[in-house]
Amino acid sequence: MSRIATSPGAASAEAIAPETERRGMAPAAQTGNLAPDPEWLTRRRAEAWAIQRATPFPSTRSEEWRYTDLARILPLDDLLPRGSGRPRVDGARGGAVHLPESVRCAIARDDDCAGRVIEMNGAVVSVELDPELASRGVVLDSLRRAAHTDPRVRAHLATEAVPATDGKFPALNAALWTDGVFLRVPRNVDIERPIRLNRWISRSGPATFSRILVLAEEHSRVSLVEEIQSPDLDRATLAHAAVELYARGGARVRYLSLQRLGHGAAWIANQRTLAEADSTLDTLNVALGGSFHRVDLNARLLGAGANSDMLGLYFGDEDQHFDFNTSQDHVAPHARSDLLYKGALDGAARGVFRGIIRVHEGAQRTDAYQTNRNLLLSEGAVATSLPNLEIGADDVRCSHGATVGQLDAEALFYLMSRGMSRERAERLVVTGFLGEVLGRLPFADVTGKVTREIETKLRATRTLRKTG
Amino acid sequence: MGKSPLLSVTGLSARVADEEIDILRGVDLAIRPGETHAIMGPNGSGKSTLAKVVAGHPTYETTGGSVALRGEDLLEMEPDERSQAGVFMAFQYPIAIPGVSIANFLRTALQARLEDGEELDLFDFQELLMERMELLEMDPAFAQRPVNDGFSGGEKKRNEILQMAVLKPALALMDETDSGLDIDALRVVAHGVNRLREENPEMAVLLITHYQRILNHVIPDVVHVMYRGRIVESGGPEVAMELEARGYEEYRKAHVA
Ligand SMILES: Nc1ncnc2c1ncn2[C@@H]1O[C@H](COP(=O)(O)OP(=O)(O)OP(=O)(O)O)[C@@H](O)[C@H]1O
Ligand SMILES: [Mg+2]
Repeated sequence: MSRIATSPGAASAEAIAPETERRGMAPAAQTGNLAPDPEWLTRRRAEAWAIQRATPFPSTRSEEWRYTDLARILPLDDLLPRGSGRPRVDGARGGAVHLPESVRCAIARDDDCAGRVIEMNGAVVSVELDPELASRGVVLDSLRRAAHTDPRVRAHLATEAVPATDGKFPALNAALWTDGVFLRVPRNVDIERPIRLNRWISRSGPATFSRILVLAEEHSRVSLVEEIQSPDLDRATLAHAAVELYARGGARVRYLSLQRLGHGAAWIANQRTLAEADSTLDTLNVALGGSFHRVDLNARLLGAGANSDMLGLYFGDEDQHFDFNTSQDHVAPHARSDLLYKGALDGAARGVFRGIIRVHEGAQRTDAYQTNRNLLLSEGAVATSLPNLEIGADDVRCSHGATVGQLDAEALFYLMSRGMSRERAERLVVTGFLGEVLGRLPFADVTGKVTREIETKLRATRTLRKTG
Repeated sequence: MGKSPLLSVTGLSARVADEEIDILRGVDLAIRPGETHAIMGPNGSGKSTLAKVVAGHPTYETTGGSVALRGEDLLEMEPDERSQAGVFMAFQYPIAIPGVSIANFLRTALQARLEDGEELDLFDFQELLMERMELLEMDPAFAQRPVNDGFSGGEKKRNEILQMAVLKPALALMDETDSGLDIDALRVVAHGVNRLREENPEMAVLLITHYQRILNHVIPDVVHVMYRGRIVESGGPEVAMELEARGYEEYRKAHVA
């Protein structure tokens, strides 16, 4: 089956729908004229709103936010959509939607895909899926729309994996989410090519909230690659996502999130993965852009034989601030999780990693690993790393480690003695250092995009330093 | 030997930057194109320091003398400029570069030699790399391994010679490339070096070693003895033979006297 092309240039929910019908694709979301929320959802939003009202914004007094002073990063008083004294959620206005150049460029660089969702400013504007997969029962849709049509969405949102009670941002999201992605893969269906999600924030303004819900039934396989972009923004602007990934027995889910926002943008994500027996649930979080990036990732190993590779990669420069808060919950025995987060920090960038492995009582034969490595490329960059263990069983294999290091002068000399300039040598060391992460979850186009962007960033800061 | 020297080191003294004591204390050495010199000497006498100062290692500062390649002042150049001018040092202790494959590493090194905007021909590169690996009896899969990461001692040494064979220097400084090689590997590496000398009869080699053995394969024109930061004796291959027999005792006595 050939590549599914999203029409370049102008696209709109209305324009895409007929086209997809013509090609016999699954129905596209028409967020422009959505019916109001179903009654159960309105009720849930109101409950979540009450919870968020009772929950203050996190401050540095809480252990989990100790190194990130949110109030200094985001205009908390001015963060939310206007008039949000009570939750009111607008879908996107209809009409033509222009895909910005950088999104088109990102799409052009993608390898083949089995389906694609495009979301702009928190509203899904286009959904496409390989018709063959649709005919086998795969559902890829706007979450907002699926809330009306798919009883599973209701069931899952009622027992949310990222519930409003998890904290301020999960509560805000549960109350205010405008749209997102619903992806369900039936039993035994193996989707080889990835599903893509392109998100675009076009301007500064109030926060946008969206959700991802992935249900991979027994022995199915699917990969979701998310890429979020924006131009440089003149005011701090938040995009938030709540991500819920379920892998049923024997299923394999891979989720890759590529953050390439512009300066001024803030990205906060609450992610939870639920891995049942013999399933594989791997994640990769890549932070390159934006001014602020915070991910709370909770991996739950719920059945014997479950496995989660948890990968992270960040490259910060200037005043970028990245904060990862991860937890590996081994609820069931005989499961494995392996976390590797690696980052390079240049300029005055700041990286925070806080991770915990929790081996619950009775989770014998747990294999759990946690590694965070940081490379500081400048005097002004700072990395804070806080790995942690909490072990409630006696027959386990666990390890955790953290390093913060500088560019190795011997390595640079070695490369320079082979004829490479200092800049080239640094680029090679940094991409090699970070490449270990990409090598563990190889998607050629993702690796390509990330490597190129890192090289561009390195080139930019090094040139600045020389001339400045 | 009417040729002017390729490398001329005169009265060179050097120390670790910000330290008080010179490690090299007036080294004189001239190597003409096509010549092979060996330097022997006890541990800590300054052999590696000499090679590293010539290659431009930033740890050391020179406190006197000069180093020139084809009459050009090397000490003024950055390590990458020296490499591009034709200097190559095979490290005594090669450094691991995690995540960077040998192929990528060498491709980048060759690309760095081209003008801005010029692109390395990847087919030519691949061909050259494979031919060189064959010469050194290396498994082609080795090219995909990260540079020196987890390599055995012998693999590291062989990898140094592979780089040398790809980069084709005018001056090869080989710092104890023979240590850590098994007998067969030594033969292969020596054969590789000799092949390079045949390909480029102008190539000069400075071979730092503790053992006579490699000199049976790579025959030197001159053998130097280094002692406490100076070259205290120079002669033909027979010097190496004699050292093998009697060690460095006589220099020690002379030094004390
Ligand atoms: N970076 C350094 N810091 C401190 N001391 C150094 C450094 N480099 C060299 N030295 C000292 O200088 C002296 C010469 O060292 P060098 O490595 O040149 O000896 P060598 O002749 O190569 O010895 P070997 O045969 O053991 O390889 C030694 O005493 C060594 O400890
Ligand atoms: Mg030495």
